[in-house]
Amino acid sequence: MRWGAVAPPVAVVTIVALASLTGCASGEAPTAQRAAERFYSAVHAGQGEAACGLLTPRAAEDLPLGGESCAEAVLRARLPAADRPRPQAAPTQVWGDEAQVRLSGDTVFLHRFSRGWLVRAAGCTPRGEQPYRCEVGS
Amino acid sequence: MRRFLRDNGLSLFFLVAFLLALGGQSIAGNADYNARQLTEGGAPISWVSYVTSSDFAVNVAENWQSEYLQFLLYIMITVWLVQRGSPESKKPGEQGRESDEEQKVGPHAEPDSPAWAKATGLRRTLFANSLGLVMGTIFVLSWLAQSVAGTANYNSEQLAQLQDPVTWLGYVGSADFWNRTLQNWQSELLAVLSMVVLSIYLRQRGSPESKPVGVPHQATGIEG
Repeated sequence: MRWGAVAPPVAVVTIVALASLTGCASGEAPTAQRAAERFYSAVHAGQGEAACGLLTPRAAEDLPLGGESCAEAVLRARLPAADRPRPQAAPTQVWGDEAQVRLSGDTVFLHRFSRGWLVRAAGCTPRGEQPYRCEVGS
Repeated sequence: MRRFLRDNGLSLFFLVAFLLALGGQSIAGNADYNARQLTEGGAPISWVSYVTSSDFAVNVAENWQSEYLQFLLYIMITVWLVQRGSPESKKPGEQGRESDEEQKVGPHAEPDSPAWAKATGLRRTLFANSLGLVMGTIFVLSWLAQSVAGTANYNSEQLAQLQDPVTWLGYVGSADFWNRTLQNWQSELLAVLSMVVLSIYLRQRGSPESKPVGVPHQATGIEG
């Protein structure tokens, strides 16, 4: 079988892929963290409209119950007092367009849209192997 | 130009086919990825963003590593194992690395032999194993790329499903990594097995991968 001629650029492409992937997440972590902090600041300030503007469209759509608005619902949600990075906690994780930010009293999940990071889920508590249970988003 | 195309048609055909298939994969993969994003409440991404994403990288790398493993195994194992009747095999009794005379190295090299075949020491050893070394290196790099891109892709999916991400070591021990790896390996191994066995009894007239049509089934190591 004559299989000798195989494209050498494969190795180059592989190395480039490795390099780009290992470094992809680092620059976005502070931006995602600030987005999570802005969300909590808005909630604690009673600014429901502003807080809803920082939610993903799906989370903002799913949040209201009955005839209430998103702004009313996000202030009603039982969100913990959390607005700053948790000391000694695991650092913010960014993988692709998804992020997990650990604040002083909460774990927040975010998704990156063209207009920036938006909160996919907040008020989240771990459940072992199961997905986190979240007060906002699911 | 015409002569260049004629003399290199086999390589050029597979290069063009490879690029077309890779381009097609990137377009179909981008559409599939965006459909999943919409289902999960995320945002679609551009083609450029997709081809630099971990989703595309892991899907490419997992196939590359298995293809290079397939050829690496075939190159190395056919040194030592034979299959009677197969044009892919050496004749029974010829197993092994063969003598310097048979391999035309050192003092047995011919005037037009590659320079490193005439050399001694490390250069000759390297050249004598260069095909396996390069294929093995590309296999390892591709598998490593699969594990790194796979970690990034798996963690992105974990976060989208509100679950904690894992470390690289955690991913390498995960069901996702081994499912991707073994599903590719099994198909490559089956393809090689089919080629070795079917080529004993079946023919493809004019193909160097087949015995000539009239050669007996028992004849080994004869390519058309």
